[in-house]
Amino acid sequence: MGYKITAKEDLSPIDYFVEVEAPHVAKAWKPGQFVVFILHERGERIPMSVYKAEDGKVGMFIRKLGKTSLQLYHEYKPGDELWSFVGPLGKPIKVKNYGRVAFVSDAVCGHAENRATLKVMREAGNYTISVQTFEDREKVYPTRFLAREVADEYYLTTLDGSVGIKGHYLDVVRELIEKDRVDVIFAGGSLRNLAKLAELTRPYGIPTYATVRQIMVDGTGMCGSCRVLYDGEVKFACRDGPVFDAHKIDWEDAIRRNYERFSEQERLAKERYLEYLRAKGVI
Amino acid sequence: MPKLIKERVPTPERPVEERVKDFGEVNLGYTFELAVKEAERCLQCPANYAPCIKGCPVHINIPAFIAKIKEGDIKGALRIIWNDNTLPAITGRVCPQEDQCEGACVVGKVGQAVNIGKLERFVADYARKHGIEEELLCEFEEKCTGELGKVAVVGAGPAGLTCAGELAKMGYKVTVFEALHKPGGVLIYGIPEFRLPKEILDHELAKLKRLGVEIKTDHVVGKTVTLEELLQEYDAVFIGTGAGTPKLLNIPGILLDRIYSANEFLTRINLMKAYEFPEYDTPIAVGKKVIVIGAGNTAMDAARSALRLGCDVTIAYRRGEEDVTARIEEVEHAKEEGVKFLYFVQPVEFIGDEKGKVKAVKFEKMEPLEERDSRGKRKIRPTGEYVTVEADTVIIAIGLEPNRIISEEAGIKTNPNGTLVVDENLMTSVPGVFAGGDAIRGEATVILAMGDGKKAAKAIDEYIRAKKASA
Repeated sequence: MGYKITAKEDLSPIDYFVEVEAPHVAKAWKPGQFVVFILHERGERIPMSVYKAEDGKVGMFIRKLGKTSLQLYHEYKPGDELWSFVGPLGKPIKVKNYGRVAFVSDAVCGHAENRATLKVMREAGNYTISVQTFEDREKVYPTRFLAREVADEYYLTTLDGSVGIKGHYLDVVRELIEKDRVDVIFAGGSLRNLAKLAELTRPYGIPTYATVRQIMVDGTGMCGSCRVLYDGEVKFACRDGPVFDAHKIDWEDAIRRNYERFSEQERLAKERYLEYLRAKGVI
Repeated sequence: MPKLIKERVPTPERPVEERVKDFGEVNLGYTFELAVKEAERCLQCPANYAPCIKGCPVHINIPAFIAKIKEGDIKGALRIIWNDNTLPAITGRVCPQEDQCEGACVVGKVGQAVNIGKLERFVADYARKHGIEEELLCEFEEKCTGELGKVAVVGAGPAGLTCAGELAKMGYKVTVFEALHKPGGVLIYGIPEFRLPKEILDHELAKLKRLGVEIKTDHVVGKTVTLEELLQEYDAVFIGTGAGTPKLLNIPGILLDRIYSANEFLTRINLMKAYEFPEYDTPIAVGKKVIVIGAGNTAMDAARSALRLGCDVTIAYRRGEEDVTARIEEVEHAKEEGVKFLYFVQPVEFIGDEKGKVKAVKFEKMEPLEERDSRGKRKIRPTGEYVTVEADTVIIAIGLEPNRIISEEAGIKTNPNGTLVVDENLMTSVPGVFAGGDAIRGEATVILAMGDGKKAAKAIDEYIRAKKASA
């Protein structure tokens, strides 16, 4: 047991990159699928998107958001081991020649999937369009971690316009649709914006597939924690997704369940950990 | 003829007020003296007649091991049990004995049945604590050469672990693939500490390792590795993936917060130790008033776990008290500990507050009919009358079905309910791939799964021998 960390570096002040040695997962992973890791014996099972899986190693983009992600950032370095690492889980996306495929993302996991998805889509003969939205110049990732190199057409946007186009990926998508420049859209990141994306593309009938992040325990269909309402039916994001037709998801429930269910406990664990870091003089 | 003693020798239990405050084991088991006294109640029916042996799914020679207890020969007793069951510390604790061995016991016709379950548990616990098991294990170890062939077992639950142990004892090299980060299956994620302490399971797993069984955790067969890949490397495969997918109610409000499947609730508590949050990182969110829907063992486990988190707990069941499916001991413990029961109610809607949290359950009242169904339970019918009960947490424990990851990936033939189709030798539609336990039964017991594991081990041995002979 134990999966060695082979690389770790900052992507921005809020996000970081971690690469883990996990040949059993790297060999089988396909875009759309995710992994679950546990930091240590007392850790929780954390589902995570994959940025790339090559040479027996799995790379992930992680946001310093809760206790586990902060602990991995502050206390683990290359050479250290994660306690558990399992995958790939969920269903891979269907890779075929759709024509013009866009991937749009505005948050950490979405950015990981952006590059991973478009890489295989391009190999399958698609014309690839990538849109990546960051808050401001400071939050933009180093170029080699962006999806630019796998995109035939690339848009970087910042909400404040400090670099790239001013605005959100939603604005770029609106323009692409108006100019009839996109056949299918894949998307990842903030659930609230994915919901808006679904509403934006719905009237045009543009197929839109979104990664529906939900709180999970096992990630194999055993607990039902990640259930979503899809076309009026209960589906499990881990087993039936995590990528779903965005037009059929009940977004209101999905958003609430992902952000509210354990918010109290998450806040408590984070505060307690930050207190610990402060006491140790780390922050 | 021994004198018939109608009353059981009671097993010591921790007092209610003490045990509801923690997750420590409730029943403390017999001491040596008490076990011998209880063993003396056995009438020693001859093996060819003994109803208890027939009532046991794996046909342990019960009168024989009880006779050894009477003689004080615990090693002899364990040797007899191990012939048919290598995990007695577990089955002694979790089997529904009242429906099996004890339900058939002759003494039970006139008084209380011999406490076979607790005697089985005593043998296992005593042998473990006094180094007796170790002596016996050394005898077995010599046979575990791993030279006969290689077998892959999918799922480290009761069926898989039993199959692995049996094959190892025959001389096979066995590798168990487990999706979770810890082996045990339902024994670790489902059954709570107060009923089956994890140290008992850890000990059984250590025993298997001694026999040369390798367990690979974090491997989801069908995702991490395919069945086809396994068949290329191993002579045969056994699937013991259980029934791990929860059934949920298809009624309005199912997506409200604080509505858990029993699997999620119990996995958070048992496997992830959420009851020790924030010392452990996995959280659990409960309110004060919990409704558990269903009345099987899982419902009792969930109810008693919620109670230990400080909640007021009510079990709601669509049938009546006589049709509760949980083990009698669990129902009694639940009642002693203060779990309330609401009968003849069927949930029709979960009602939420403005924040999306559940605040009440609307039930339709049911009424019992005289007629009985195929399982002998009284049929029920809806009355058209409704009752709404306040609850800020709901746990749904209405059953499970098999996880389809492996059957879908490998194209194994299944029944409509997802269970794998097997022949009389427990072989699936894929040659060389065997299956047992809840993966073929839907939802049964630990002992039946273990019985399947044992039966499959024999069939796998024959299959590999035949294959090698013809090669």
